[in-house]
Amino acid sequence: MAKEVFMPKLSSTMETGTLLQWFKQEGEPVEVGEPLLEVMTDKINIEVEAYEEGILLKRYYDEDEEVPVNGIVGYIGEEGEQVPEEKPGAGNDSPAPESTPKAPVPEPAGQEIEAEKAGGVRATPAARKLSREHSANLSLIQGSGAKGRIHAADVHAAVDGQQVRSTPLAKKEAEANNVDLSAVKGSGSYGKITRSDVSAPRAVEELQSEPLQGVRKVVAERMQKSANEVPHVTLHTEIDMEVAMELRTQLLPVIEKQTGQRLSVTELLMFVGSRALRKHPDVHASMTDDRITKQAAVHMGLAVATDRGLLVPVIRHTEDKGLAELAAETKQTAAAARNGTLPGKELSGSTFTISNLGMYAVDHFTPIINQPEAAILGVGRIQEKPVVKNGEITVGRMMAISLSFDHRIIDGAPAAAFLTDFKQMLEQPYQLFV
Amino acid sequence: MQSSAVNSSNDKETARSITFAEAVREALSQEMREDQDVFILGEDIGVYGGAFGVTRGMIEEFGPERIRNTPISEAAITGAAIGSALTGMKPVVELQFSDFITIAMDQLANQAAKLRYMYGGKGNVPMVLRTPSGSGTGAAAQHSQSLEAWVAHIPGLKVVQPSTASDAKGLLKAAIADPNPVIFYEHKLLYKTEGHVPEEAYTIPLGQADIKREGTDVTIVATAVMVHKALEAAEKLAEEGINVEVIDPRTLVPLDEQTIVDSVKKTGKVIVVHEAVKRGGYGGEIASMIAESEAFDYLDAPVRRLGALPVPVPYNPTLEKATVPQVDDIMQAARDSVHRR
Repeated sequence: MAKEVFMPKLSSTMETGTLLQWFKQEGEPVEVGEPLLEVMTDKINIEVEAYEEGILLKRYYDEDEEVPVNGIVGYIGEEGEQVPEEKPGAGNDSPAPESTPKAPVPEPAGQEIEAEKAGGVRATPAARKLSREHSANLSLIQGSGAKGRIHAADVHAAVDGQQVRSTPLAKKEAEANNVDLSAVKGSGSYGKITRSDVSAPRAVEELQSEPLQGVRKVVAERMQKSANEVPHVTLHTEIDMEVAMELRTQLLPVIEKQTGQRLSVTELLMFVGSRALRKHPDVHASMTDDRITKQAAVHMGLAVATDRGLLVPVIRHTEDKGLAELAAETKQTAAAARNGTLPGKELSGSTFTISNLGMYAVDHFTPIINQPEAAILGVGRIQEKPVVKNGEITVGRMMAISLSFDHRIIDGAPAAAFLTDFKQMLEQPYQLFV
Repeated sequence: MQSSAVNSSNDKETARSITFAEAVREALSQEMREDQDVFILGEDIGVYGGAFGVTRGMIEEFGPERIRNTPISEAAITGAAIGSALTGMKPVVELQFSDFITIAMDQLANQAAKLRYMYGGKGNVPMVLRTPSGSGTGAAAQHSQSLEAWVAHIPGLKVVQPSTASDAKGLLKAAIADPNPVIFYEHKLLYKTEGHVPEEAYTIPLGQADIKREGTDVTIVATAVMVHKALEAAEKLAEEGINVEVIDPRTLVPLDEQTIVDSVKKTGKVIVVHEAVKRGGYGGEIASMIAESEAFDYLDAPVRRLGALPVPVPYNPTLEKATVPQVDDIMQAARDSVHRR
């Protein structure tokens, strides 16, 4: 009696296996435990051993073909034994050779009954009687009763060719999505419908795609490089902006009168940041070709979102500039960057970068360093929050701030010292006059 | 219990309708008029007419010699009946509540059931023991049991459980005519149910089941008061498109196996319902008989049994009902069988 060689289920998620290679030719003798074929699953490659001794009578799949789990890949038996020419139960074939008694299939009936014994088919006595009368194979019939029990009606349906075989998961999915299982073609063993068959018919939306080019490509490359090369560490803190915002309120009309521009928080941060950087030359550094250069003049890079992607225009010598000048120049440069009219040289040469997402509902984030700089400041929103001052809870206007630094260039302590100074300068801006 | 639910094989317009209790009395009276050897003995059956009034008025017609009041001793009453039966009389015992059969059990199991066999057929015990059974009257744990499985287990005893007035009359006459001891159960809730009962004398052979309702989808084998609950369930299930066949075995011993087997072969699904406790109840015997029979290969659903919970019958009427299968339980079991659950 020829025995099937099945595609084994090698992991709980395995649905198909790819046949990598056969170790035996058709007609070759096989010992129990001898490697028969090699299979690749979604997780591993594994050699499948023979469970039977005999001659490899038939191979239904070639190398590199995909086989559903429990699909019959071949037969082992005695020389001269008859086995099906076509691979049994490959999707579009008749689901159960036994259910079409007109086309006599040699041999398998006996093995199927053995499989049935092993699997312990749950069927009512009436269903069993019917299956005997119609020579129907119970192990290929899906039961509609409790715990998958096969009832007489299921056998009738199978014999009439109306039986739809599906996994319980596929059935559940079909019910949830109102899919008519009888209209679905099964891809499992003996044409069994699996979940992927049920979800397959869903319409796929046309997706837009475009090549990576222009600013997007530059951003992609630079971010990838920085993220790959630089060991980023990000420090977070919150700054009480009460006094700084009061200062801005007072300076707003003055600067607007002088320059026609409204002073924003970004310029305040640039102003204070420039002075803090001068106090912390370790942080105000860059690394190129394994050389660390301490910068002198502060050229502040400002991350600006444009239609084409992220641009970082540079405001030069911010350490020398007052707030009015910074406001005027920043607004002008940012507008030029957004319009695409900014000359290329004004997009390079920065020594430190500020990325302000404070206009969004963002607290902290971890900015990626604009290489070759040593650090980047990420600015979150200003929010009223309860803060404890002198043992009392009061409302503070707190700004979330993050400093990412390149740990190759500096260590945590100097970066933290810079951030602390920066925080104090903003919280007590009068010390800038000292 | 709706009297309309009581099925009668004879639906003549002019049909005479009497109660179950009256039908039992009519059978007794007819037998006693016909056969001088028939007499009744029991507690308070004379002027009082028995606990449920079945023998009311009989002492006026037949006199205290044949309607004999006895002391309160079930063992003595039953023993006296067995002795008189051995001499050729045809005693009919009325046992006030079937729960007290426990006291008469030695007489029934070791004497009545054995004597004909042990004397090689030279002596008969042609007696009938009538006794009210079942719950539903608020009579609590010691007066509400259904112990028919106890006696059905003893070879030599016949056991009858009628469900309708006309069945009661015909079966009681057959029981009195039978040369063996017959335990004749009368469910308390059935006494007041009415149905057509022919006036003339007739007998229904012991061991002949009655198909109380024909159907194709599921067979319900029910006894005594459960026959009516099954018929009510069948009525409602018909509205759901479930066509129920209700079979009343009428006698547990002998059991009409063929009628049950034929029905199960037709429907492929069967539910056995009785009021007695399910554990060790006679429903287990019927279910096993089906599984062993030719009907096995026709079963398309598990054989289901409905019986009382294994607790003493509570006095509280709500709890009393809750322990016993109700119409909804029968309907659910039928749905489960038909819908392959």
